[in-house]
Amino acid sequence: MTDTGMETLTEPYYEALKRGELVVQHCKACNRNIMYPRHLCPFCYETDLSWVLSSGRGVLHSYAVQRLGPPSGFEDDLPYAVGVVKLDDGVQLLGRLWPDPDGEWSGYSCDGRVEFHGADAVEIGRRPVPWFRRAG
Amino acid sequence: MPDSDPASGAATASALPGRGSPEEAVFIGLGELPSGRYPDRPFMGQLVHAAVAAVRDAGLTVPDIDTILLIPCLHSFADQADLIFSRLVEELGLHGRAKSSFMLHSGGSTSDNTIRSAAGLIASGHARNVLVVQSEKWGSAPVGEMIDMLTANGIPREWEKLSGLTFNAVGALITCRYMAASGSTAADMASVCVALREWSRLNPNAMYRDRTLTVEEILNSKMVTDPLHALECPMLADGAVAFVMTSAGNARRAGRDAWVRIAGSGGCVSHYSIGQEADLAVLGWEKAGVDAYEQAGWGPQEADLAEVYDSYAAVLTSGLEGLGLAPKHEAARMFASGEFSPGGRLPVNTNGGLLSAGHTGVGGGSALLAEGVRQLLGRADPSRQVAGATRAVCGGTGGTYMDSQVLLLEGVAR
Ligand SMILES: [Zn+2]
Repeated sequence: MTDTGMETLTEPYYEALKRGELVVQHCKACNRNIMYPRHLCPFCYETDLSWVLSSGRGVLHSYAVQRLGPPSGFEDDLPYAVGVVKLDDGVQLLGRLWPDPDGEWSGYSCDGRVEFHGADAVEIGRRPVPWFRRAG
Repeated sequence: MPDSDPASGAATASALPGRGSPEEAVFIGLGELPSGRYPDRPFMGQLVHAAVAAVRDAGLTVPDIDTILLIPCLHSFADQADLIFSRLVEELGLHGRAKSSFMLHSGGSTSDNTIRSAAGLIASGHARNVLVVQSEKWGSAPVGEMIDMLTANGIPREWEKLSGLTFNAVGALITCRYMAASGSTAADMASVCVALREWSRLNPNAMYRDRTLTVEEILNSKMVTDPLHALECPMLADGAVAFVMTSAGNARRAGRDAWVRIAGSGGCVSHYSIGQEADLAVLGWEKAGVDAYEQAGWGPQEADLAEVYDSYAAVLTSGLEGLGLAPKHEAARMFASGEFSPGGRLPVNTNGGLLSAGHTGVGGGSALLAEGVRQLLGRADPSRQVAGATRAVCGGTGGTYMDSQVLLLEGVAR
């Protein structure tokens, strides 16, 4: 799945998701958060990088509900939703969106508040991605 | 270096260096095969037929071509490897004569980047007569395999692929944001596809030249990826396009009576990952347009037509707005009121675009660019030829709409 050597970037992120946490990369040299994780800081090009716990809170920039034509391996997930979240931490990312209790996403809207709410260990073990739900 | 030519338009302080000079690169020939499902047309066969058609259209012979720039296919890496390793040179009998043959690639914006590269080679004397050619077999390829290929490439495999992101979802993310920002309705978005179908019905090379399309049909078609209905998603097509470019001096000496010059170009690579785009309803169009218009010395209000990438309606509406061809947030509603349809205020995507002429992979942008050149040469079918067209705004974008590329074209009659 990932290039040899990429584990330095992927493992801390995936391991946090497995613990039910969302972390983002942080540059100690210029004190900025970075997403997606990089080999060097894309602002100051230093390599003194660490990980910080994200607030997990932010706004939904946009979202889409996949109903037909999924990639291989996602047939049993249909329907499912993905969204671009702008975190309060100053970074943004793509993640999955939990359906509302009716199994749909009609309660979501662009610029609505969302919060990180991780999936269970089995799902994250299979696909380490962040999940978000609506927030008040 | 001459800075202006009275025949080529008004001189301005921001004129492109070499404007009107004999060294500047111009389009002199075009070739195109019909787009659609043509399982009996092999990849290399399409490529040589389009190539030879363009060379003949340019009034040249194949041995006049010294440089070949290849726009890649996506249906097969084996066929792409044939491009990389100069198979076309041998197929055209140019082995031992061609100076250079190579492939450039930036997804759907490849045509813009390739034309810029060709123009640079010509203007700097590294190439004389350049063939730019593209062939794609998407229409005959298995759709499931193509979905997997597209989700395996151009989407960050570590950070986004595991979410199940598809290219239709990428289009849906842009559409959802555009609709929220602009207040456009589902019917407004569908009307973009309807206008493109009106155009494709006038294009004998389009995939959909017979069937009409209505807003009602679109809204009643299956929801594929909210908010995109099935009839708002592009159909993968086979197709091929070729251009021949040379210097204005060569065109003049060869006795050509019309050619097309590149008045200005601009671009902005706004992201790689769709999850990192700052504004999915804007993309990189605004910056790309500002740079291009400044170089050309004319503005969007002086354009006679536009040919802007349209794999999804919102990609086109964001492009038209960012390029100043529609007020911000108004483009979809303007489609609904017919302003960009045949007979409307500004002809847009007069070949029917990717959405109705067919999505030929990397070639979708090439076909739009070819239509822009064709219109400025006055050689479109009379039913869709824009009368007196001299200025065209052409826009392309690739991958997850990572880059917005603009070429401003001008027709020159001697
Ligand atoms: Zn830094």
